[in-house]
Amino acid sequence: MGITAYGYAMSATTIHDLTGPQATATRRPARTQPPSTPRSSSAARRQVAREVALRVGAVVALVAIWWAVSAWGKPDPTLRPSPLLVWHTFLDLANPAGAGYNGLTLWGHLATSLRRIGIGASAGVGAGLVLGLLMGTIRPIGIVLAPLLNFVRALPPLAYFSLVVVWFGIDEKPKLMLLAIAALPPVAIVTADAVSSAPKALVEAARSLGAGRLGTIRDVVIPSALPQVLVGVRLSVAIAYSSVVAAETVNGLPGIGGMVRDAQNYNNTAVVLVGIFAIGFSGLLIDGAIALATRRTSRWRSLT
Amino acid sequence: MPRSPRPRALALALVGLVATAGLVGCTAAGATQAGGSAAGGGSRPKVVIAYQKFPSGDLVVKHEGLLEKALPGYSIEWKAFDSGASINTAFIAKAVDIGAIGSSPVARGLSAPLNIPYSVAFVLDVAGRNEALVARKATGITSIAQLKGKRVATPFASTSHYSLLAALRGAGLSDSDVKLVDLQPQAIVAAWQRGDIDAAYVWLPSLDTLRATGTELTSSAELAKAGYPTLDLGVVSNALINAHPDVVDAWRKAEAQGVNTIKSQPAQAAAAIGAELGISADDASKQLAQGIFLTPAEQASTTWLGSEAAPGGVGKNLQQGAVFLADQKKIDAAPDLATFTKAVYTKGFADVTGS
Repeated sequence: MGITAYGYAMSATTIHDLTGPQATATRRPARTQPPSTPRSSSAARRQVAREVALRVGAVVALVAIWWAVSAWGKPDPTLRPSPLLVWHTFLDLANPAGAGYNGLTLWGHLATSLRRIGIGASAGVGAGLVLGLLMGTIRPIGIVLAPLLNFVRALPPLAYFSLVVVWFGIDEKPKLMLLAIAALPPVAIVTADAVSSAPKALVEAARSLGAGRLGTIRDVVIPSALPQVLVGVRLSVAIAYSSVVAAETVNGLPGIGGMVRDAQNYNNTAVVLVGIFAIGFSGLLIDGAIALATRRTSRWRSLT
Repeated sequence: MPRSPRPRALALALVGLVATAGLVGCTAAGATQAGGSAAGGGSRPKVVIAYQKFPSGDLVVKHEGLLEKALPGYSIEWKAFDSGASINTAFIAKAVDIGAIGSSPVARGLSAPLNIPYSVAFVLDVAGRNEALVARKATGITSIAQLKGKRVATPFASTSHYSLLAALRGAGLSDSDVKLVDLQPQAIVAAWQRGDIDAAYVWLPSLDTLRATGTELTSSAELAKAGYPTLDLGVVSNALINAHPDVVDAWRKAEAQGVNTIKSQPAQAAAAIGAELGISADDASKQLAQGIFLTPAEQASTTWLGSEAAPGGVGKNLQQGAVFLADQKKIDAAPDLATFTKAVYTKGFADVTGS
């Protein structure tokens, strides 16, 4: 029987009892459920099908507009590449047996960039979490660092990238540094805010029950801050992801950002678009994965 | 708790401020857009000139305002660009009328799929010792063949890139035998000083910084003799030629004056170029001495621009460049010679430049 974020000792009642099927039958619907959700499963299936159809329809309409714009007047593959050209370019670049771009397939470039983002964003998020925790629990640190972090957060990565290159060279280090610098401030600020706004009543209850300072942080502050922190992590990763092209400005090949910049040099618009789509879709997938993880760990949030 | 004063008025004021800022921003952008290029017309038609920061008569024309004096009825705008590739992009976007571009990007611009509608109207310089391949002294490299497996930097899609590939080919190496790195001149200097690269092919003024701690392996002058000349060309959009041929004539005349200043009044040219590049007139003189500048008379000869009756060697040079690019798989296929000969504008050259 331990201290939980609910502030009272949990005995036989478990979380499942509070959110399980019997619970929804007797309690009012949880606040996270939209009020229009129908109860029967076939109606739910129809709703989902309608949403999917709407999304697919929107994408089809966009592609149709794109095709129309590219076919208007005199077709120009540099100014207005058609969807078909971009598709063929994608097939050429994605072909594992093909020449790819600069000797590497699209997946090779994407993997290189994802590796950089993984390492850089992890370093930035990790440092940001630690910094945020310190800032939230020790007030003087928070007061000193908050404006500094806000300042760094406002800087566009391209502005300080040439400095990073001069200090760290042209290989992997400046790219990882840039991604880490881009990822650190958002998660640090959100964590500091979440930690410092842990419910005072719970903290005091824990202290009065005999928990030390560290115990309070471990059992009350961190769990209550967790949902907000995960949102901050998601934001940080998104920001780091959008900085990948900036990070690969100098000596970016292999790398998806480097591929886009090199293609720009040769005004190869089709390759630029393939690169942009690759960055966009992979970013969407990563964000979705983090959102899924966030939802799983915060399922009890609706009960507080 | 005191009530916040007139929240509705505050909100209204905020909305008004944002709307005004938006309108001001849009009209400002609209004004520059409407000016656009001289071919588009306007109250005082605008001529947008793209220039690069290397020593040439173009910078003399800019610094001394020769074009502004010759065309008082036009509004002249000079815009700095880092590379020929970005000027090509600007031409595609129809954002510039005249540009100073190296022959390699011009060859690419005139080939498919870009097919940029511009024409060569002036030869700004022939690359001599002002573009060269240098290796860091610390690496102990003294010949091009020793570059095998080493890191060589150059700005991709430039004349230096073309010259580097030609130099490697001359020494029996392919571009996969060395580790090619795409860096802009400023980044090359930084990487060189950190020791991140072993050699670089780049142009002045960065080249002189590298020469201080490097060994020169070859230069564009030697490559020109070996059959791979590179030029810096003045190109004008075909739209400008059709709509305002007087502007093109005035520009050619001003450029001729610029070149003549370099040839006959080197100190004045060095002062102007030094001011534009932010270097001393002394350094500018040394850099000017390394380029090959053609007088208008030389340019009118069939070796270079030629005339409408007798096309010159520039077209052939561009076509050779395109063939090389096609070999390197930078473009799909090289167009025929006629495409390039047609893209050299020589009408009235001799009269306008007094050559």
